[in-house]
Amino acid sequence: MPEPVSNITVQMPRAKRAGLLLFFLGPAVAIYSLFSIYPLLATMALSTYTSDPSGARSFVGLANFETLLGDALWSKPFWNALRNNLIFFAVHMCVQNPIGIALAGLLSLPGVRLKGFYRTVMFLPTMLSVVIVGFSWNLILSPLWGVAAGALKAVGLGSLFAPWLGLESSALVTLSLISVWQFVGIPLMLIYAALLNIPEELIDAARVDGLGQFRIFFHIKLPLVLPTISLVSVLTFVANFNAFDLIYSVKGALAGPNFTTDILGTFFYRTFFGNQLQLGNPTMGAAVATVMFFIILLGLCLYLFLVQRRIRRYAF
Amino acid sequence: MANLRIEQLNKRYGATTVLNNVNLSIEDGEFVVLVGPSGCGKSTLLRMIAGLDGASGGDIHIAGKLVNALAPAERGIAMVFQSYALYPHMNVRKNMTFGLKFTGVPPTERERRVAEAARMLRLEELLERYPRDLSGGQRQRVAIGRAIVREPAVFLFDEPLSNLDAALRVSTRVEIANLHRLLKSTIVYVTHDQVEAMTLADRIVVMNKGRIEQVGKPLDLYYEPANLFVAGFIGSPAMNFFEAEVEGIEGGRARVAGTAFRNLDIPAGSLKVGDALTVGVRPEHLVRGEAGFFAAEGVVELVERLGEASFAYLRRVDGRMFVAEVRGRQTPAPGETMTLVAASPDVHVFDASGLRVAT
Amino acid sequence: MTTDQRARSIGVHLVLIAYSLLAVGPILLVVMNSFKVRSAIFGSPLALPDASTFSLVGYEKVFRSSHILTYYSNSLIVTLVSMALVLLFGAMAAWALTEYRFRGSTALALFLSIGIMVPIRLGSVAILNMMRSAGLNDTLTALILVYVAQGLPMSIFILSEFIQQIPKDLRDAARCDGVPETRIFFEVVAPLLRPAIATVAVFTIVPIWNDLWFPLILTSSDSTHTVTLGVQQFLGQYITDWNSVLAALSMAILPVVVIYVILSRQLIAGLTSGAVK
Repeated sequence: MPEPVSNITVQMPRAKRAGLLLFFLGPAVAIYSLFSIYPLLATMALSTYTSDPSGARSFVGLANFETLLGDALWSKPFWNALRNNLIFFAVHMCVQNPIGIALAGLLSLPGVRLKGFYRTVMFLPTMLSVVIVGFSWNLILSPLWGVAAGALKAVGLGSLFAPWLGLESSALVTLSLISVWQFVGIPLMLIYAALLNIPEELIDAARVDGLGQFRIFFHIKLPLVLPTISLVSVLTFVANFNAFDLIYSVKGALAGPNFTTDILGTFFYRTFFGNQLQLGNPTMGAAVATVMFFIILLGLCLYLFLVQRRIRRYAF
Repeated sequence: MANLRIEQLNKRYGATTVLNNVNLSIEDGEFVVLVGPSGCGKSTLLRMIAGLDGASGGDIHIAGKLVNALAPAERGIAMVFQSYALYPHMNVRKNMTFGLKFTGVPPTERERRVAEAARMLRLEELLERYPRDLSGGQRQRVAIGRAIVREPAVFLFDEPLSNLDAALRVSTRVEIANLHRLLKSTIVYVTHDQVEAMTLADRIVVMNKGRIEQVGKPLDLYYEPANLFVAGFIGSPAMNFFEAEVEGIEGGRARVAGTAFRNLDIPAGSLKVGDALTVGVRPEHLVRGEAGFFAAEGVVELVERLGEASFAYLRRVDGRMFVAEVRGRQTPAPGETMTLVAASPDVHVFDASGLRVAT
Repeated sequence: MTTDQRARSIGVHLVLIAYSLLAVGPILLVVMNSFKVRSAIFGSPLALPDASTFSLVGYEKVFRSSHILTYYSNSLIVTLVSMALVLLFGAMAAWALTEYRFRGSTALALFLSIGIMVPIRLGSVAILNMMRSAGLNDTLTALILVYVAQGLPMSIFILSEFIQQIPKDLRDAARCDGVPETRIFFEVVAPLLRPAIATVAVFTIVPIWNDLWFPLILTSSDSTHTVTLGVQQFLGQYITDWNSVLAALSMAILPVVVIYVILSRQLIAGLTSGAVK
């Protein structure tokens, strides 16, 4: 956040200033603290308790975490979910962001017509609910309907078709790609905006220096939008480690087949609410949420200390 | 209408001092221009008079009343901003009346004031327009109008002409001068443009590094700059300076010598042999000649022709440059050696601390 | 244009068109087939509905066996109220944080920015407990409160950027005019924040409309379900009834697409305004 710009409050009588700040900041801080920060803290606190079948709670320190990470009954699904989540994230980083950058690069080329149309169309999936997108793809990829199979056959690749969403080997990557398809609009738009911010003259100067569009993109534009790319990566990271809707709507809480699509979000939901196989356990759920919190925190710290500090921002 | 008194005003941001013990007294109806290089504290001083920035120490009195603790609106001031600061979502009329709503001016009175200001500033046709539909000059007039309708004791102008093009700047300058004649109000006007300062001001306040260097009538500053800074700041091109030293004192007269000009003879006053001095002569006061009170030689390197005059840039014997104004159609040719002289009233001598010494 | 340039331009457009097809194709496919009879859905999925294949049977089924209109109105209420509060409270807080110097403002800004990066979802366990004990369980109010808390940090961040772009002179002029601070905000600053609404909408409002998680854990009855949750449950129930499934999906898609197409210019301008860096 930037420095406050006005000194007007400094000259005010103390009571008036307090009243003013309370009026402007009060509602936001109250709602945010009560329904965002407090639940986070309360969840962390709850993760150090356990409840017996009667509902009575007792303090157990870090025992829930020991169970989660040590007891094979818990740790196996946890590590499985974490590994799947990392794969989910990796697919996004390797597919979503490069496609977003490439499309933004194409859209920002001088003299491309219908930019507005392309932008609108390409961003459309991002506006839709993950549930709807997931289910729609579920239908499209379903061997029952045969649309995907038919499309592949039409281009002579019919033999490649498989019920990807149903196979243990391919379900997770397929779901990741569906998510990529939906959210490619975010890197696309943010990077496109960053590209637009590069002064025209800089590009003209490069052209006068004899660089072609391809080189201009790689040597001039890309380095200048690096901060945005790293921001997009962080946004992707947080969103991915918080994802739930897609897997739940396509695969249900059990994240089949055989938990191969289970990620932290679905694991958390199952632990908290229970399902056909187990009873809900709020305190263990709180422990899972706390671990997720620390994973996200760890990721953010790595970003802040390793990436952010090395990236130079250029002023135009 | 009111006078304005500033006493021992200080402003610090952490370790940096923006204003240092500023004292200034402005008479009722006076047009005072604060001028100085950027960062000299002139805008800060204006904003402190307005009450937009608080002081670290010192007092501000408007119309005899101590206003330190008052909010901007309670000080009886109106301010015209460099960017005009027109409310973009309100038309001209609304822009002018918006502030009056909050200071208890009844609607009929508001309308009367707007009508009068609009007539004075030729804004009648524009009252229903929005700022985005106005030219720069029109916006400027609306901004002034918005200040006028408040009927303030003191008008504050913060570089109001710097966003206008050259021609408009001249005509608006004349307009502001007329307005002052009509309203007879107290005006404090900040600019970095010395032409604006010279043409508009009853008195000019020259500021530098948070201090007031000199306060005086425009021509007094020009002819009798109190110190080196004012001498160098007022006038364009800037005054030429020559390093000098007191070589000897005889019969109450001091002999001033330097490498780049012929010796001078000035009243000794409190000067001592060996004192370092600076001798200053304005380019427009140098004329071609053989001998005079002051004489310096140089080789012409470059001539800038402006039309009514030309400026010759000459290399002195000590290797530095000085400038002389040359009138007429015949300009010196590069490479030519010239001797330039100046009469005694036009030669300024400053001591080692930069203060002017009587000549 | 040289032939070389023309060839390149065509190449660029081919890529863009191909991706555009990939982006809208699946959506078109679902919507198109939702208007067909069952045999045509399977027989010729890529064909547009014609006189012989056109059918609204799926839609009839959705209307008959779900409370789709209630879901719509719930989603609308939750989204609009949340949006109004996120914008109002967010702009007010952003104004105080960017405009006023006061002790603890940096700390407060940091405190508020936690919510940008840490998903509020992780506090779900406690949120559910809180709502239960406050008697707000299974109400739209619970959803709105959570969504406002969720949306505020990002909207404060975005709106701060916008407020900083409003010239400082404008606020000072208002102060010299004697406008009280609260009126400066509501009458001078707030009207100038209109372009920011689109940016805030993309980052905080659209996720509210689309959210599945909180309706899933906080609402339990049909009367409080949102479109996303309602359709999701409907799909689970009628999974084998392709007409109904496609119709339900289309009914969730179409309003969003229509509003998006109408507002896309502002939304995309908001996204590309550079307010999010």
